[in-house]
Amino acid sequence: MPMRPVVRMDQLWGLSVAWYATRLQAAARRPGPDEMREIFAGLGLHGSFWDPQADEFS
Amino acid sequence: MDPIAPDFDTRVKLAIYRHFADTARRPEVSEIARAVESSPADVSAAYGRLFKSRVLVLEPDGTSIRMAPPFSGVPTQHRVVAGDREYFANCAWDALGILAALHAPGVVHSRCGQSDEAVAFDVPADGPLPTEWVFHCAVPAAQWWNDIVFT
Repeated sequence: MPMRPVVRMDQLWGLSVAWYATRLQAAARRPGPDEMREIFAGLGLHGSFWDPQADEFS
Repeated sequence: MDPIAPDFDTRVKLAIYRHFADTARRPEVSEIARAVESSPADVSAAYGRLFKSRVLVLEPDGTSIRMAPPFSGVPTQHRVVAGDREYFANCAWDALGILAALHAPGVVHSRCGQSDEAVAFDVPADGPLPTEWVFHCAVPAAQWWNDIVFT
């Protein structure tokens, strides 16, 4: 079983901004898989746990 | 495919989010219909399309909004006080997400998932202050939408 990670509060804030800062605007949309990987990596969240298309979790 | 559907759906989505932001509660279909000057039937159809595109999560009745992330349509243990309103979030991530969406400072009230201890954070508009608390993510990203309410 892969290890479930913990996320620091500053990382969680980064996720919140990436997902929701434009949510009340017309152009808002959910990030796609490649964007998600980029956001996670930019916040130091690495590994297959954070891969939205990881086979091992499918 | 109806060529006007995307524009209408975007108007419905924005009306839903504006309602959550302004009232901290989920809207009725009739309220959104008035906001976008359309019929409840057309708005209900838009709800279905927004659900399929993972913008909304609906209750089994197909018209009550369970989630318009980061907002929760039902009370949860993750509460966010911003200004004179109290919002419900779907999880700790979404609790911060409400403040990010509002671009406002606030206070997040939640409970520790391990000890059940009540916790509260003052969150300035530019993000939380350093803390020892961490967020535990139990479900891998590839499975988030298998059961988004559990996630």
